[in-house]
Amino acid sequence: MTPLEELLFRLADDEYVIAERYTEWQIYAPTIESDLALANIAQDEFGHARLWYDVLEERGYEEKDLLWERDPEDFRHSTLCELAFEEGDWADPVVRSYLYDTAERLRLEALVDSSEPAIAGRVGKLLSEENYHREHAQSWLERLAEGNESHHRVQAALDRLFPHALSIFEPGEQEKEIVSQGLRTESLDDLREEWFEITIPYLESLGLSVPEPEEVARPDARGRDGSHTADWFDLHESFTATYHELGFDQPTRLRGEGA
Amino acid sequence: MSSDRPTACAYTDYVLGDGHEEFPKTGEDSTGVERRVWEALYEVEDPEMPISVVDLGLIYDVRVEEIDEKTHATVTMTLTYTGCPARSMLKDDIRGAAASAEGVDSAEVRLVWSPEWTLEMVTEAGKADLREFGLSI
Repeated sequence: MTPLEELLFRLADDEYVIAERYTEWQIYAPTIESDLALANIAQDEFGHARLWYDVLEERGYEEKDLLWERDPEDFRHSTLCELAFEEGDWADPVVRSYLYDTAERLRLEALVDSSEPAIAGRVGKLLSEENYHREHAQSWLERLAEGNESHHRVQAALDRLFPHALSIFEPGEQEKEIVSQGLRTESLDDLREEWFEITIPYLESLGLSVPEPEEVARPDARGRDGSHTADWFDLHESFTATYHELGFDQPTRLRGEGA
Repeated sequence: MSSDRPTACAYTDYVLGDGHEEFPKTGEDSTGVERRVWEALYEVEDPEMPISVVDLGLIYDVRVEEIDEKTHATVTMTLTYTGCPARSMLKDDIRGAAASAEGVDSAEVRLVWSPEWTLEMVTEAGKADLREFGLSI
């Protein structure tokens, strides 16, 4: 895998998988507004995944190799994106989205001056669609952190998700080349530091206690190297099930599409 | 998503952005086959609003070239939203329209995301269409 491919798979897989998880909240979110908001955020992330997968398609990959027939071990997303939600626990998607979308903005900003025109030419549009993801997460976080039971739930979600969020910044094999070739203009270590500087004081200001990054127990699965939690293999099986059941040998097309 | 305005496409942000000098493009200086492609594209409407995709500012470039004695048109376009559900339909309608122009043998569509589409990309005629439709822009 080239450095460019590694970078694109990290970006695309994160977006695709977290969107796939978010959709599980449709009709179950606590209010009609939050239901619509999360569904809309999911649609944004699917759109962003598609933009990154498009770049891979321009370099010879086919859709079936990118999604439907790709081995689950070959996906490179952070384990934060794949975890199953605790049933009915709205604090989970709120905390997850805050951790993820804060990291996403930082990494997109580090792609604005990418040496790869196909990346640089997409980032502005993506960034313009990201702001309200954080606004949504933060308005819910602030609301939930004020309550009693809800505060405990947010804290529990943070304790559970934080170690997985660290895998957003887990380097892959080509990390050095990604930076030295200017595909991304900041290292993952620097992005992680910036993410700490934003997320930790903010979460603490809500009365939450943030796990110590260097001391917290990290899960074995890091996502970026293809190691994943059991939740991922269940999710992968469920989103590819229809494709396999119907015996497609190619992804199906809408009427007239590509005609 | 803002819902207090009567937007037909709830995914599109109808906000002003930075303008680009050479946009919107309408093919007004084009001639010959290229001109006919632009005219064909004017006939394609947005799937949700009564506005031509040209006036909406989605079309960034039309290029016509001879390849192996065949006339090939390449349309470069963008979309208002990355997650646009009508992406395939629009691309296909636009490719079909370009291919239907007299003198064109084949056509393809290239999708780009830069410069970003904003309301500044809409032509004056397009803005009038959108106002007529009920958008406050």
